[in-house]
Amino acid sequence: MEPVLKAVNLKGGYLLGSLYASASQQGSYVDAVSDVSLELFRNEIFGIAGESGCGKSTLIKMLYGYLEPPLVLKDGLVYLYTKEGKEISITSLSKERLKREVFWRHISYIPQSSMNVLNPTMRVRDHFAEMLKLHANMSKEEAYKEAGKYVEYMGLPIDVLAAFPHQLSGGMRQRVVISLALLMRPDLILADEPTSALDVINQQAVLTMLRDSQESFKNTIVIVSHDMGVHGVITRRVAIMYAGRIVEIGKTEEIFEDPLHPYTQALIKALPRLGDKAQRKGLSGHPPDLKNPPLGCRFRPRCPSYGPQCREETPTLIEVKPGRYVECWLYST
Amino acid sequence: MLHASKKSLLEYLATRTIMYFATIFSGITLTYLLVKAMPVDAVENIIFGLTQTVAGVYDPQSINKLREDLYEIFGLTGKSPLEDYLIFIRRVFTFNFGPSFISFPTPAFELVLRRLPWTIGLLSVSTAITWITGNLLGTIAGYFRTRKFTKVLESIAISLYPVPYYIMALILMLLFAFLIPIFPLGGGISVIPESLNLELILNIIWHSLLPALSLILPGALGWSFLSSRTLTLEVLSEDYTRYAEFRGLPGKHVLRRYVLRNILVPQVTVLALSLGGIFSGALLTEVIFAYPGVGSLAYRAAFAGDINTLMAVLILSMVAVSTAIYLLDLLYPLVDPRIRYR
Amino acid sequence: MPSLSFLKSIGKNFIFLYKSNFKFRLGFTLILILFILGFTVSPFSPTSTRTWYAVPRDRPPSPEYLLGTSSMGRDVFWELCASIGKSLTIALITAMIASHIGLFIGLISGIRGGLLDRFLMFVSDTFIIVPGFLLLIVVISIIKSWITIPLLGAIISIVSWPWPARQVRSMVLSLRERTFVYTAKLSGMRTSKVLLFEIMPYVLGWHLVNFTNTILFSIGTESGLAIFGLSILGDNTLGVMLYWALNYYALFRGIWWWITAPIVTLVLIFISFYLISIGLSEHLHRIIG
Ligand SMILES: Nc1ncnc2c1ncn2[C@@H]1O[C@H](COP(=O)(O)OP(=O)(O)OP(=O)(O)O)[C@@H](O)[C@H]1O
Ligand code: SF4
Ligand SMILES: [Mg+2]
Repeated sequence: MEPVLKAVNLKGGYLLGSLYASASQQGSYVDAVSDVSLELFRNEIFGIAGESGCGKSTLIKMLYGYLEPPLVLKDGLVYLYTKEGKEISITSLSKERLKREVFWRHISYIPQSSMNVLNPTMRVRDHFAEMLKLHANMSKEEAYKEAGKYVEYMGLPIDVLAAFPHQLSGGMRQRVVISLALLMRPDLILADEPTSALDVINQQAVLTMLRDSQESFKNTIVIVSHDMGVHGVITRRVAIMYAGRIVEIGKTEEIFEDPLHPYTQALIKALPRLGDKAQRKGLSGHPPDLKNPPLGCRFRPRCPSYGPQCREETPTLIEVKPGRYVECWLYST
Repeated sequence: MLHASKKSLLEYLATRTIMYFATIFSGITLTYLLVKAMPVDAVENIIFGLTQTVAGVYDPQSINKLREDLYEIFGLTGKSPLEDYLIFIRRVFTFNFGPSFISFPTPAFELVLRRLPWTIGLLSVSTAITWITGNLLGTIAGYFRTRKFTKVLESIAISLYPVPYYIMALILMLLFAFLIPIFPLGGGISVIPESLNLELILNIIWHSLLPALSLILPGALGWSFLSSRTLTLEVLSEDYTRYAEFRGLPGKHVLRRYVLRNILVPQVTVLALSLGGIFSGALLTEVIFAYPGVGSLAYRAAFAGDINTLMAVLILSMVAVSTAIYLLDLLYPLVDPRIRYR
Repeated sequence: MPSLSFLKSIGKNFIFLYKSNFKFRLGFTLILILFILGFTVSPFSPTSTRTWYAVPRDRPPSPEYLLGTSSMGRDVFWELCASIGKSLTIALITAMIASHIGLFIGLISGIRGGLLDRFLMFVSDTFIIVPGFLLLIVVISIIKSWITIPLLGAIISIVSWPWPARQVRSMVLSLRERTFVYTAKLSGMRTSKVLLFEIMPYVLGWHLVNFTNTILFSIGTESGLAIFGLSILGDNTLGVMLYWALNYYALFRGIWWWITAPIVTLVLIFISFYLISIGLSEHLHRIIG
């Protein structure tokens, strides 16, 4: 399988310095991504799951490479492999070069809460046109024409082009944002919670759109969602995050059928099943404060099966069988 | 897809127009009530002052006519209060403010009309320049908020903002009278106007430079600058602007299409509101530079106790200000697509 | 009735503000100096600042006449001190009247809402649209010969209350939405009590900002009116000093010290009250949000 992105030992988080924090938070650090390694392959839909605040958004911002304060990268490397066979080191390029050469051509990003990401004073077609003018050197007329063809291809009604963002429904706006991300046929699309602000019908439409476009463009899509249901429907592989670390990676079916990590097991157990009336029991306790994470395994305070080793030493992610990684002392003897 | 329907456009126009007349009407009523609340012997006082200063110019007959006018304006005809009020309203809406005192018996309204082009010329040009440069500077300062020149501009703005126009005018006069005596310090023209030619126009512009500068400087570096800088900082933290950067759009493009375009919307309101204040400020600028506009006329009228002319100036500028706000209101939906003539 | 703890909290806030906020400190110090000049120093004037030819005319600044003398034969330094005092008095009167009317109307409008609110806001909008300065010109032209310092302060208030009223009203409206007011209401307190105990402490801070801004506005308006010849021309105010200096063409005759003195003082007053005002609002934003 051909890789499209490799992240090696990524470490980063939020540095709450004087500019961004009140006096009590002076100089604290939120350890939101703690030593994450990851490999993504061409032509797949990859999921990142985990409960709120575990660092999913932070991780994909770091993969994308555009860090705004107070988010800082402490260590680690991210490589992107383009379909032309080039290797791009995202972590070592300057912001300006990333903007000029990498973003949108090779990798694009759909932020969480993307309801307000379109310019309220610009028509939808101008959002497409400005990207085409910038990255494909088209003239205004060419860009409008191309935008029309493209929007139709993506299955959107043609009159969204003349609309202003506020005239579109939430679901339609999200589909416009997704189309915008796919516009330049990038190798990799990072989508942060693309469905979480939508109702069930629109969720379905957005997921279908993502899957269909992936099938026709043969690119790689990363879908971040706290909703395991979304992953079950659309992803082929999934990574489970807990408190800033990836604790398990594997084929989605295998994760659902045979979760290995105690946290994953709890997640899967809590899922509602068809024909099962019994109340599902969730995990007790809270995820740790990332300003002050516990030593050893970060899941230990909530883990039903921890042993003496778990308190002192942090487990590492190991491949227990081909393509299946787990970070837990139960599996690394 | 929602689009502006004809009906909502009409509705918008109708409500705006009603509001327009309602504000003018209430402004006039306000003036009436205030003037009426003045001490009762005000009219005799005015007339007495008049006969004292320019005795002999008026014949008794026209003095009597004037007295009648004044009694009507002050609502003291002895009829019912409602009638008094209606008489006043009729006078205002027919622009009949009685004869001026300072160039008796020319109607006060006519006197004001003659001066109006000067004032409107000065104000429209300097307000436009103020608004445009202030917004550009403010946006740039907001965008490059950490640069040194931004800090310098900010300190200048903070010291200029609270200083009224006319004090600024005096400072400029001080500077240009002693340090760099290049501009004419007073008057509107210094050639004899025979026909409208280039020389005359240039002369007029030359004379209005200093008054204009005294209006532009505190505005462009003061309120206009500060408000657009604050707005820019807000827009920069909006999702859509940040996402534009995320998409790799170059800074200049983001500045123009995202930041400037979005601060324009609230800045139009600021422009409308500033028109109200600038009118009074410009009156004093005119007095200080002896610029032959409405302000200088009002100055002479105030000096001579010419209440008719002052009234005409007040009502006319009230109408001018509300009209400006009304027009901007109508233009607003063109600037902000979110407001579709609601 | 302001209780002791309330006064204490004002004192604490003031000390904190003075220590932590440079703008406030600078503005406050300047104002303090001006107040001392205007109220404490000015009574010691060796010559009258209101009679003509009390001292030789048109003398440039010298050790004897610190800021020179005017063409009217007055010592500019002492006239300036007296003018600062009178101008500040006028401004304080306006601020006392207008900001409290504004507070009262804003509170009523914000709390009661409904038709009363609509009416009050329509009236204050009218005042905002009507060129206030011209309105004052008309009014003062009519009663020019009776005008006194307190009367002038009161007349300027006619056009100064709408801004504070609007500000207080929007403050009340936003506070009404906050949870603590709801909790207080749910706990069975009467509306007026909810107001007094929950909203007032927050509004009072902004009231102070409005008070400062009204002072600023009043001083500016008085000097503007004076340039028009519509102030108390026989007395000493900063505006009146400007009026006479302009009328005697001080600038063109090279008597620059006469006109520079009130201009510089006015600019200092504007800047320092403005600094106090923004220092206060920065502080309020931080403690209330
Ligand atoms: N701008 C910020 N400043 C400080 N801390 C932040 C910031 N953004 C996120 N965090 C913290 O970093 C941690 C990870 O946040 P992140 O947004 O990546 O979580 P997430 O998994 O995406 O959660 P969600 O499902 O709620 O989106 C959280 O503890 C969060 O409180
Ligand atoms: S390492 Fe220990 S504490 Fe952590 S999940 Fe595994 S068993 Fe539980
Ligand atoms: Mg997130």
